Amino acid sequence: MSTTTIDRLRDTELSYRATLAGGALSVFLFIALLGLAFPSSIWGNFLAILTSRSTLSSALRLSVPITFAALGGIFSEKAGVVNIGLEGLLIISAFTAVITTAVVGPEMTVLGLPAIWIGFFAGILSSVLFSALFAVVCIRFKADQIIAGLAVWLIALGLAPFAATVYYGGVNTDNLGTTLGTWTIPVLSDIPFFGAFFDADPAVYMMLVAVPASWYVLNRTAFGRHVRASGENPKALDTVGVDVSRVRYAGVLLSGFLAGVGGSALSLGLGQFVGNNQTMVNGKGFIAIVAYLFGNYNPVGAFGASFLFAGLEAAQIRLQQVPGYAIPDSLIQTIPYVTVLVVLALVGRTRIPEAAGEHYDTGDDNR
Amino acid sequence: MSTAVHLDEITKRFPGVVANDDVDLTVERGTVHALLGENGAGKTTLMNILYGLYEPTEGTVHVDGEPRDFDSPADAIDAGIGMIHQHFMLVDPMTVAENIVLGNEPRKWFGTTVDRERARQEVIDLSNRYGFDVTPDDAIEDVSVGVQQRVEILKALYRGADILILDEPTAVLTPQEVEELFRVFEELTAQGKTIIFISHKLGEAMHAADDITVLRNGKNVGTVKADETSNEELAELMVGREVLLEPKAEPQEPGDEVLSVQNLSAKDNRGIPAVSDVSFDIREGEVFGIAGVDGNGQSQLVEAITGLRTPTGGAISYKGRDVTNASRRSRIADGMAYIPEDRHERGLVMDFDLVQNGILGSQHSATFAADGRINWADARDHAERIIDEYDVRPPHADADAESFSGGNQQKFIVGREFEREPDLVVATHPTRGVDIGAMEFIHERLLDLRAEGKAVLLVSSKLDEVQGLSDRLGVMHDGELMDIVDPRNTTEEEIGLLMAGERPDTAETDAEPPVGDAK
Repeated sequence: MSTTTIDRLRDTELSYRATLAGGALSVFLFIALLGLAFPSSIWGNFLAILTSRSTLSSALRLSVPITFAALGGIFSEKAGVVNIGLEGLLIISAFTAVITTAVVGPEMTVLGLPAIWIGFFAGILSSVLFSALFAVVCIRFKADQIIAGLAVWLIALGLAPFAATVYYGGVNTDNLGTTLGTWTIPVLSDIPFFGAFFDADPAVYMMLVAVPASWYVLNRTAFGRHVRASGENPKALDTVGVDVSRVRYAGVLLSGFLAGVGGSALSLGLGQFVGNNQTMVNGKGFIAIVAYLFGNYNPVGAFGASFLFAGLEAAQIRLQQVPGYAIPDSLIQTIPYVTVLVVLALVGRTRIPEAAGEHYDTGDDNR
Repeated sequence: MSTAVHLDEITKRFPGVVANDDVDLTVERGTVHALLGENGAGKTTLMNILYGLYEPTEGTVHVDGEPRDFDSPADAIDAGIGMIHQHFMLVDPMTVAENIVLGNEPRKWFGTTVDRERARQEVIDLSNRYGFDVTPDDAIEDVSVGVQQRVEILKALYRGADILILDEPTAVLTPQEVEELFRVFEELTAQGKTIIFISHKLGEAMHAADDITVLRNGKNVGTVKADETSNEELAELMVGREVLLEPKAEPQEPGDEVLSVQNLSAKDNRGIPAVSDVSFDIREGEVFGIAGVDGNGQSQLVEAITGLRTPTGGAISYKGRDVTNASRRSRIADGMAYIPEDRHERGLVMDFDLVQNGILGSQHSATFAADGRINWADARDHAERIIDEYDVRPPHADADAESFSGGNQQKFIVGREFEREPDLVVATHPTRGVDIGAMEFIHERLLDLRAEGKAVLLVSSKLDEVQGLSDRLGVMHDGELMDIVDPRNTTEEEIGLLMAGERPDTAETDAEPPVGDAK
């Protein structure tokens, strides 16, 4: 009886995914057909935008911070610590990367390393340190993870523009006049459309390596298994002699590292930190949480979801530039967020780690 | 035969409590040793000392003839001791093999990667060696509880355990799985492993153990050979006085009808029909029992009757009025008491104290909240009265519910429900997880209510319990009420067949495999 029930659940799970994929595909085909039939209509414009190489290129660039933050979130939450401070980690690393580069001097080279790369690593370091603080508060002092995570965001949101004001007299930093640039792979970059993969920001290549690497670590290494066990049933891990706290610290620090790469790449890709309102990070850390939930904690799925959001963002920016339609920009700007809402409604099936958000007590001899 | 474990004058004191008092225990290699006792007798504490979870206040632990001092379970594991806890320490979404090797994963590629092929092969070899039926690639959440337990045993064996401690291993198993477990015990001892298992069930100890040590109030009150003792002797050792093992209801003439269930149907939480077309009635001064293997619709039937689930068809009338769609609150107000099957889920709020728990369900009533505010002084008196009359230990009304043992939690719930002065008591598994002393007590109270002319609906998977207490007995299988029999004139075998879904007239046609075995 129990087996048939499980089979049935699996079937619904599979059909759910099939429906989702089928739905997305048919929407795309519908737009494509409309676009081909009426090339000069809004659908034609939309199709042209979706299939242009520059859209792919900017989608890849925009997905970098979301993907890295999402990968970080996966490691942290899989280990049992819900890290909703990813937004804050992105902000702090984005700012630190720029300010460090500026202090070293954008044109300088230290020990053969251009200043911008020193800034890049400094951004990562700041995020790791900040996540270490979060980890100590959550694991050692058993603070509520949601509240501590919000604190990480709010502190970063206040600190970065404040520091910018102290240094520059305004919430934005000056433009460094330099960026991470692009790495172009000869020949491959000449491929139409997909050539965008080989003519990209260095951080895009890092992302394309980090996604499968994260999957490998999580699913094929002993450490990855300990991370998963720590988030599902920490007691089981403890009783076989693995220190749960250490695994959780490692998970959170790794999330700080990955989010740091995303934050540094975000600001150094532009050469400036923008501190207005929600800063240049502007909710990417929160979208990253949606992305990894949507991807069901699978790094590859999380990348797919990040790429979807980034693609919509890129398309939405292009769509604003198409003249002649009376659609207000502010409405077009909502497209990625509406998608997030729809996606959130659909991700009800995500399987959240059993012990995520719970403190773990070894409970030795102190009853 | 050599001695595997010898505990020498172990005393363990916790603040205010002596959990183990000067306990000696000797376990011979290659035998099954049962540690028997009521809840709170100190069995688990003693085994936690052997497993290195607790440090003994006094006394020494000897393993294989050598005195050992374990600081942590890791030391005990090194000394070849493995413990299978009552709540399994398994990671649900991971596979059987992943769980077994967790923390000791075989590696390849300079230690970077788990060697999954080797892990799988080692698990297969290990399970073949002991005749275990497990598939290494199944996810834990997809396999039955019985298989999960075998995975726990394999986990201990994988770490080189020679001495296995099992804490209440049968508590979560179906009868078939219990048989399977005892077969595993035989296989393990035949290969020289030593097994110590904790239990409060006499029958199991008699059936599966070679030697039985009885603990009472933290003291060893005797070690006996299973084939040289009797149930009565063991019960007396456990409780310290003579115990009435088999409840017996004296026949009495029932009065008016209290509850009538007509053609009731209901679905479970997944929307699958769980109760189909069930009809019966209960009269004053009558215990109506429902027997059946767990999961055959009893829970949904009881929920429909108590107002926790909306039936999909049929009617329920209570004291002559139709209550099919009446609210839970009105049913309570009308004197319908309910002892739920899951005391953690529905019986108590675990982080409320007993004063608060004592008025659950009565929080609106004039007794405790005449002017819309709860009168805490009355609530406290009420809780203390229950604690006193139902012998809840320790007698602390201010302690959180979760600090009490399962048996004492159950006594408190039973007390609270009986104190409502109900006309109908719906009791589901009222003695699940309680020790025999408390069980006898709860049985007596149920029979007292019956003598007072109340109606009782008793649902239990323990056949001797429903058979001994009921005036009439309904047997459920797959959502249907197979038959209503007179428990005094029906054999256990006949009821067992009904539980398996075989009606006497269709005995050959409707055979089904036993429930609960996933593979």
